[in-house]
Parts: sequence; C-alpha cells; structure tokens
Amino acid sequence: MSITKNQFFNRFLYGGGILFDLCKWVILAAVILILVHKFWFTIFIVDGLSMEPTIHDKELVLLKRYTNSTSPERGQVVAVKYPGDPDNKKYIKRVVGLPGDKVSIDSGKVYINDALYSENYIPFGVETDPNGSWQLASDEYFLMGDNRPGSNDSRYFGPVEKRFFLGKAETIIYPRLKKLNSL
Amino acid sequence: MVKNFGKPQKGIISFYKRKSLFFLVLFVFAFIGIKVVQDNRYSADASIEEMVSNSSDRVIEIVILNDGSVTVDGEKVEQKVDLLNDSDELRLPILDNSGQYYDRITVNLNLPKNIAENTEHEFLGIHGVGDTNSKVSSTNRINYIATNVSSQATLTVVAKMPTGTVNPPLGRKILKLIEQVRGSYWFIAAMLLPILTFIIMLALLSSELKQQKIDMPNHEISSPPMAIPPAIVGALFSQKVGSREIAATLIDLALRGDIVIVDRERGFEFGKSKFDQRLLGFEKVLLSKIFKKNIYSDRSDIEERINNHFYSKKISIVSSGVYTLATRLGYFKVNPQALHAKYRFIGIVAFFVALGGFVSSLVWFTDPAYVVFFWVSMMVTALIISIIASRMPVRTIIGQEVLSNWLAFKKYLSSSEQIPFSENNQEVFQKYLPYALVLECEAAWARRFSEHNFTVPDWFLTEKNGLGIEDFCLSLFPIVSYVGRSLAALKEPGFE
Repeated sequence: MSITKNQFFNRFLYGGGILFDLCKWVILAAVILILVHKFWFTIFIVDGLSMEPTIHDKELVLLKRYTNSTSPERGQVVAVKYPGDPDNKKYIKRVVGLPGDKVSIDSGKVYINDALYSENYIPFGVETDPNGSWQLASDEYFLMGDNRPGSNDSRYFGPVEKRFFLGKAETIIYPRLKKLNSL
Repeated sequence: MVKNFGKPQKGIISFYKRKSLFFLVLFVFAFIGIKVVQDNRYSADASIEEMVSNSSDRVIEIVILNDGSVTVDGEKVEQKVDLLNDSDELRLPILDNSGQYYDRITVNLNLPKNIAENTEHEFLGIHGVGDTNSKVSSTNRINYIATNVSSQATLTVVAKMPTGTVNPPLGRKILKLIEQVRGSYWFIAAMLLPILTFIIMLALLSSELKQQKIDMPNHEISSPPMAIPPAIVGALFSQKVGSREIAATLIDLALRGDIVIVDRERGFEFGKSKFDQRLLGFEKVLLSKIFKKNIYSDRSDIEERINNHFYSKKISIVSSGVYTLATRLGYFKVNPQALHAKYRFIGIVAFFVALGGFVSSLVWFTDPAYVVFFWVSMMVTALIISIIASRMPVRTIIGQEVLSNWLAFKKYLSSSEQIPFSENNQEVFQKYLPYALVLECEAAWARRFSEHNFTVPDWFLTEKNGLGIEDFCLSLFPIVSYVGRSLAALKEPGFE
C-alpha cells in the first residue's frame, strides 16, 4: 500500500515527534556523558595485581584524559592501549622514562640517563629485572608496573608511543579514596 | 449539589504509560552505563611463565593486499592497514591466548610492493614469549620469528610501511581525511554551527516580527471588538493554543451554562449542566475529552485519562480546530500549526541525522574522534530550529488589525482605574474574564473590581464560604496551570 508524500510527512512527524519529545533530553544527556567519557574523564576497574601496592585488584579508578597540549610526566600512573593489540587491551602502568631518555636496568636498579632513579612507590628490597637498556625516541615512553616481579610492561613489550596513551589515573574512588600521582 | 455528581472512587492501581516509558528509557540508559563501567577494565597486567607439556612449530603466512586489506593463511581478516600521517601501518595480533605451546612461530609477511628495506618491523610478544626477532628476507617479504611461545602468549606483527604503500577504497580515504582534521577545527565548527543558526533564526524571526508589527493602540475599547471565542483571541495574541486558551474555553463554557467548575483542594472537577448542540467543533471535542459518557468528571477520572495516554488525539484536535478556525477567519497567512510542523520536521530530521552521525563516528573513527563535536552541535542546532521556529509569526494584515483592536481591549482590561459598582458590572467581570485570561491580564482585570462586594458565580462550586473577589481569583486562576498539567500537555507531536 503506497502512501502519499503528505502522509509520510505526517507519519514521520508523529513517530519522530514522539521519539523526539520523549527522548531528546535523555539522548542529549547520554551524548554529553559520552563526550565526558571520551574527552575529559572516565572511570575504569583495575583488573590484576601489577600495580600493587599502589592500586589493588578490582579497584575503581578515575581517569583524566590527556589533551593535545598535555603530556604524560615521569612518575604518573597512566592508562595506555597495549601497542600489540590497541583495540582490545588496555593497561595501567607508571611512566618511568620520557621521550629522549635512556632507560637502563642493571642489578635490580633503574637508571635514567645513567643516573640512579629513586622510586619511593616500590616496597623496600624489591628489585627490577631483567637487565636491559632502551633509548627512547621523541614520542616514546617507558612504562612499568609498581609490582616489578609481577608486571608485564615496557621491559617486555618495549616503549609505548604517545598515541597509545588514554589518560592519567587521578584517584582511586572505590572501595577507598586515594589520590594517585602524588609522589 | 456537588455530591449528586459524585461517583465511587476507582481502584488506585493503574498503568501510567508516560511515566512508565520515561522510567524505562532512564532504566535502559542506566543499565548501559553500568555495563560500560563494568566492562571498562584496564589490566594491571602480570608477566606469565609456563611449564611446557607438549610443543610444536607453526608457520603463518600473511599477505597485505593493495587496498590495505590483509589475509592470514589465505583468509581475509577484519584488521586493515592503518593510514597514519607518517606511515601505512599494520599492527596485527596473530596469536592471543591460543592454549598451545609453540617452540617456534614463523610469520612470513608479504608486502604489496618492494618496500621491505624501507619498512620498520617489530614482533611484539607478551605473556610468556622467549625471544622475538624480525628480518627482511626479500624485497617484499619480512620474516618474524618467536621462540618458546607460551599457551597464553600474545604475539603481534608490526610493520610500518612508507606512506602511500597501500591504496584503500575512496570511502576509507575520505574517513581518514576527516579523521586527520585537527580537533580544534572541529571544535570551532561545533561552536559556529549553532551560533550561526541561532543568529540566522533570530534574524528571520525579527524580520518577520518587524513586517508584522502590531500598532500598539493609544485608545481603550471597553468591550470585545468582535464576538469570537476566547481561544481564537488567544491563538491570535500568542500564536499558540496552550493552557490559557483551553482554560479560557472552559470558563467560557461555564459562563454559557454548559458546565460547572468544581473547586477542589488539589485541582478542579467538572460537571455537565446541559447538552448544547450549538457548540463549536473544538468545544465539543474538549467536552468529550473531559466527560466521556458521564455528566461528572472528578479528579481521578481526569488523572486516569491523563496517565493512561502518551498523547490525546482529542486535545490535539482541539488545538488544531482553533488554528483552523482562526486561519479561516483570515487572521493567519497559513495555518501556524502546519508552518511550524515543517520547521519541526527539519529539526527532527537534523536531530536524528546528527545522532546517527554521532554513533557512526564513535564506531568508525579511532579515539579521539573529534568529529563527534560537530554532530553534537548539529543536535543543538536542531533544538534551536525547533524552538525558535515555533515562535515564527504568520499573521495576515487583517490578523494584525484585529489583534490591534484586541490590544485596545486589553488596555481597557488592564487599566488601573476602578470600575464603579453596579449589578451589571458584576456580570461584566465574569463575561470578560476568559478574554482577560488569554490576553494575560486576568489579575489586572480582577483588581479593577477589588472594591466590589462580590458574589461567587453559579458556575463555580466551592465549599469555601464568603469568598471575596480576591479569594475567588486565587481559587480559579490556578485552573490555567491545572489545565497545563492535565490537558494541554497531552497534545500529540506535530500539534501545538
């Protein structure tokens, strides 16, 4: 059964109008939430133990997105896409080496540009293995988990380019409240 | 008297469609939000070591085609070559948690051109990979080798080829071009679109208002310029049929003896006094909405009818009837409802196109997809169009002249001068009250009678005793907001 142009207009206005009337503010609110999630803040659940003792498994963390003008800083806890599977794997690690740095691990200690790097977030006596040395390019960062013996990080998959960074972990919001990145 | 109209209270359990749908929509969004948070897991990934039980070797053949698509062992995979600013990049996970231990995995990557020497290559391995390396084996072939690969390992082939190595379809090229536009440009476009639309719509509106300028009369007219129903006057004055127009029609019907209005603590009830055949079409429809088959409509009846409907066809017909009559009388160039419906159509189409664009951008573009700001601004633009367009004036010259006369009458109604007491003037107060309501000067009109001894009209039933004019107004005037809440809000989409 064919319908006239006028009937189509009226039907569209009626059906679309109902949807528009009932949902426009809810849709706009959802769109704003998505924008906030994509560009400003998001929350995520930590899955694993590689950031112990700073962040525990299953804790809920608030993440602040980086803008074009902000860059990760040394010591910041950050979320990145795993460069080997950026669509599916996201990791939370700490920035140790910045672009241009030479990062070395020798006898359980970390050196940045040949100077011993002091890390007060690592429990006393915990050593960093295995030995190695990485020269970072102009947009590469060296990331490691705080749980050095049990973390899969740049020591294994290499430095991470800035384009894979998702943001800076700001605060643990559940089940405890703790501000991160305050070294 | 009131009790005679009464009837037993109905059950208190009923299905409120509007509220139910609203809460359903909220529930769906809340559910999606919770699911998103639950699934938004960022791994604090641990390193893995594994005991070897049985082992084998594996060779994988990967071919990059000219259009950027990729085959693995002869089968096309979803992953494609990504067009970056400085390279054409393949980043392909070829093994992830396979459940099988391998002594050695060899991947042969076949490039679409002889560019192997100019290609950066890397074999990423995590979760238990002994050693990885990659090397050029011919002008268009790179070998990736991993040894001691655990059953939980993830292996990824990375090849950064020179820009222009692959030639993807036009669609992908366009998407890439859009993606490469800087975020600040999208942001500027997103700010400009609604601002420009707002300015253009405002200019259109002010130009129409200037063309249809109503001369404010210097004189007063002490009686209605012509005998037309108050709803028509309201439509001419405000160009909408809202709660004031419907409330004024109800009071007008009460004045004519067709209904009685019963004042209740939390609203109004209505009783039918006579069956008048000389009613206008929209008045009949309004009465049929209030009184279905009974002669008395109490609060629960009205609430039930409101809550059981998303929209009311009858209330929509009432507003449509008023506009049609006003247009037939020559007051409007075109039916304002039809004109505003056209703008609304544009607004709705733009809103849903923008929503589709927003969702598609989230799916098609890699983060951060700044183009979404453009789509959001288009949604805001659609709202601006639909809101401002509904205020676009369409009065004819006749309509402007007639309105000018009614404004002269409004001047009389809202004058601060007291009207001397007489039996006749008491009737005048009631008679002009519906017009005062649609001309938005009911309080000023009532003030002109504030020194009178007031008798509550027969058509207004209340349990309160000794009402003065001020108390009467305090009791009656909330009918506007009551009608707004209960009846006017039920108009269907496309009806104003």
